[in-house]
Amino acid sequence: MKHKKYEYSADEGLHFYEFISIGKNGDIRKVVEYSEMNIDGYYNLAFGDFDERKNEINDKVVTNNGDSLKVLATVASTVYAFTGKYPEAKIFATGSTEVRTRLYRMGITNNLVEIQEDFNVFGLKYDNNFEEFIVGEDYIGFLIFRKTNSYGNK
Amino acid sequence: MEINEFNEAKIPLVRINKKLNKFKGKVLFQKKLQQANELIQRSKLPIELGIKESKV
Repeated sequence: MKHKKYEYSADEGLHFYEFISIGKNGDIRKVVEYSEMNIDGYYNLAFGDFDERKNEINDKVVTNNGDSLKVLATVASTVYAFTGKYPEAKIFATGSTEVRTRLYRMGITNNLVEIQEDFNVFGLKYDNNFEEFIVGEDYIGFLIFRKTNSYGNK
Repeated sequence: MEINEFNEAKIPLVRINKKLNKFKGKVLFQKKLQQANELIQRSKLPIELGIKESKV
């Protein structure tokens, strides 16, 4: 990714990632999760703030820490890490709110050329059909998976 | 692999934090997962639409 990103760590299975967002509202612990969906081979990408007081995740909070591009670049980097271990995985992502979904779209748009070098990128339209991601289109979700032969696979 | 090759590699080097293993088998974003499953289940996947996957 061309944008700066935070250093992060992961569990041994590379399903969970953690990093610290550093911005105008302080240091905020972020967690990224890839969880198996009902369709075999599909994983849901989700991320949010870890609430230290409640010891739980909040994916609706608007952190407004002034580093959204860096946070998105970090999350995007975990896609490379996750699919490095699970190259057949299909990753679906949708925002917890429309604003968050638009933020995802912005993150994909800003890095689309680079992402498409290695990944197929689809947007889920409001009519429940996927199409190849088009810049400027409104989507309710996104599907990303590696192109065949990427990184020497297959 | 040389250092400069590491830096240029697209697959990032990931530091493993064994403390995160405590999440194994859990779903932290349960509502988000449920929402995602509902969206996917009522949608036509790219393969069903006959959209071909690009190759490198």
